[in-house]
Amino acid sequence: MNGQSMSRPWQEMRRLQREMEHLFGDMAPAGRWSLTGEYPPLNLTRDDKGMTLEALCPGVDRPSLEISVVGDAVTIRGERKPEPDASDERYYRRERPLGAFTRTVGIGERLDPDQAQATYTNGILRVQLARAPEATPKKIQIQN
Amino acid sequence: MATMTTTPTTSAPTSTHRDAAEHAAGTVSPRVDIYETDKAYVLLADMPGVAPDGLDVVAERDEIIIRGRVERPATAPDYQEFELANYYRAFMLTEDLDTGGITAKLRDGVLRVEIPKSPRVQPKKIPVRTE
Repeated sequence: MNGQSMSRPWQEMRRLQREMEHLFGDMAPAGRWSLTGEYPPLNLTRDDKGMTLEALCPGVDRPSLEISVVGDAVTIRGERKPEPDASDERYYRRERPLGAFTRTVGIGERLDPDQAQATYTNGILRVQLARAPEATPKKIQIQN
Repeated sequence: MATMTTTPTTSAPTSTHRDAAEHAAGTVSPRVDIYETDKAYVLLADMPGVAPDGLDVVAERDEIIIRGRVERPATAPDYQEFELANYYRAFMLTEDLDTGGITAKLRDGVLRVEIPKSPRVQPKKIPVRTE
């Protein structure tokens, strides 16, 4: 199995990922491909204080790992590199996808980029997200 | 000629080593790469969610078994594309490997196991003398 066939899945995913995907809010218009199943897989948890986005991406080259927040979208970028002592002709088994990846998701709520924080532990990227102040729900008191 | 092969696994590997607790939590087989260098065989396994104290690598006779324990969250996320499960996978070895010299390193959820080839099997450069 040569290195070339391994990089094609990544190119295909990058092409699909150029479109924004919306996790919440509007359903994708008819005719668009389902954009789930891309890399890295994501989990999202919401609570009153904000949201936590988790990405399952072990072995990412840390200098290449980049998270950006704008509007209601989070973009995760990075690269999984081969080991320096690995050469294409000497693999017996190759199951792990390698290469550069980018994934952008729309969270469905406006975010405050200044309050976003990320950690990368044991191969799981955790991004703590806060709602933009004007997007924070305001509780309405009952007057009578 | 491959001297390290994986025992056939599906997403629910069968093995006489597994106990009931492992089975209950649900285990998955981590994706691996196996390659050869002049001095060793290298195994890389994706095991995100495993911390160093949750990792177990055992070399026993002709087998290497890797196990990784993860911490599953108390509540399910609102939107979910992945679910963590404990990892298990076993590999068969052959005699030209030096199991005494096995090293294992875990970094950012990737396990790297290196098994040195026994010295008699390592390619030896033979100096050529001209006369």
